[in-house]
Amino acid sequence: MTQDTLSPPLIEFRSVHKHYGTVPVIRGIDLTIRRGEVVVICGPSGSGKSTLIRLVNGLERLSAGDILIDGQSTAGLDGAALRRLRTRIGFVFQQFNLYGHLTAAANIALAPRKVLGLTDAEAFRAAATLLERVGLGDKGDRYPSQLSGGQQQRVAIARALAMRPEILLFDEPTSALDPEMIGEVLAVMRSLAESKITMVVVTHEMGFARELADRVVFLDEGVVLDDAPPERFFGATGHPRAKRFLSQLLSPLHQVGG
Amino acid sequence: MGFHLDWSGVLAGAPLHWLVTGLVTTLAVTLAASLLATVLAVGLLGLRVADNRLARGAARTIVALFRDTPLLVQILFWYFAAFGLLPGGVRDWINADHPWAVLPANVPLISPEFLAATWGLGVFSAVFIAEEIRAGLQALSPGQREAALSQGFGHWSALYHVLLPQALANAYQPTVGQYLNLMKLSSLATAIGLAEITYQVRQIESFNAHAVEAFAAGTLLYLLLGVVLGRLLLAIGPSGAGGRTSEERQADARPAGEGRHGL
Repeated sequence: MTQDTLSPPLIEFRSVHKHYGTVPVIRGIDLTIRRGEVVVICGPSGSGKSTLIRLVNGLERLSAGDILIDGQSTAGLDGAALRRLRTRIGFVFQQFNLYGHLTAAANIALAPRKVLGLTDAEAFRAAATLLERVGLGDKGDRYPSQLSGGQQQRVAIARALAMRPEILLFDEPTSALDPEMIGEVLAVMRSLAESKITMVVVTHEMGFARELADRVVFLDEGVVLDDAPPERFFGATGHPRAKRFLSQLLSPLHQVGG
Repeated sequence: MGFHLDWSGVLAGAPLHWLVTGLVTTLAVTLAASLLATVLAVGLLGLRVADNRLARGAARTIVALFRDTPLLVQILFWYFAAFGLLPGGVRDWINADHPWAVLPANVPLISPEFLAATWGLGVFSAVFIAEEIRAGLQALSPGQREAALSQGFGHWSALYHVLLPQALANAYQPTVGQYLNLMKLSSLATAIGLAEITYQVRQIESFNAHAVEAFAAGTLLYLLLGVVLGRLLLAIGPSGAGGRTSEERQADARPAGEGRHGL
């Protein structure tokens, strides 16, 4: 942690608000994520977790406030500047969203070729290396529909990495997976976390949070209720609302009334 | 009284020549209007999916205008009303003889009838083709676009590299249907005197009253054109090109024996 407090801020949420029509989703969030940090964001459904990270790369527009990336304001960014920002931020979706008409290798190579301007040879060479890295070296010529959910999500992670991003955002990356496939995706995420790339992970995988997160941020109804290192978050001094959430996660059959 | 078919009144002499002329005319107007429809459909689709409210509104109006009015009325309008609004010099030029623009079987390509039919069929079909492809776009999960945007693609490059290849594969079969429709609807151009198959069949019927034989021959010609055109378009379809649907890939994984090559 001492090392993290020394590293400079990479993502700074400044009184961030987001509402859809009159429905508030994010209600004033201030949060700083430092370079190299692995931050897990958790909270009950509807708490605004996904919206929060989708605001970072402009998939959702801010209603008020600002998000600084590397000290630069991103509020109101559009056009080429927004596209440039997005190339620096990898996003991994719950539903994988691999390009359905392209093979795994072509999925990974597409944006490096068409957005970054790499040659086909460079891009496909890098794709092959990345496929090896996520344990799918032999699956480069498969179409998404020919891959299991876990394999698709690993290709999606490789696709995000192909842009050499400074930040990786994960939106419930294992929530759409069958239980036996969650492990293979978490293993890839673990190796990324250990490589010290900045990661913001929305997830219910508390094992991942406990083991690999530098901080756990607990969101409820659009505000941050707790922001603590995992030992404190999961320990005796955690926020009461977070404790109730955790007990529901761990034993859904014995929910504490809320 | 027995019922006799007498093909000599259709498949010999002047009637045979008329049928050949009709076939060439139908083929020519179908090809010309298909090309025009393709070009116009690209432009219309561009407006329809533009990142601009005004452009989308204009496209919606064009679609409504040409999709929700009868094609026969549209062809009559282009021929009788719009043609008359052209500058006199242009009309004279179109009406003049153009020996270099005459197909075999004496089918002129530059005539008010041919141009009005081509334009009318082209515009009408473009609207339907653009809408088929737009439906193919809408069938894609919004996540496809979000994934592309999150990687730094812009509106148009996401469309071009990610969305359209998949939409075209989705929409390919119904789009082929629209081109076949265009061929069949060219029969309406008989109303403005374009000497295509239907026109010639009626000419034979009034010439020697061989109505059954004439209409049978005409129907067979349309059927032949439809089958050939349909198989041709499906053969160059997306399983040979880039975009493949998951159904097609599953079909590929199944043993051969059905599908487009087994028709």
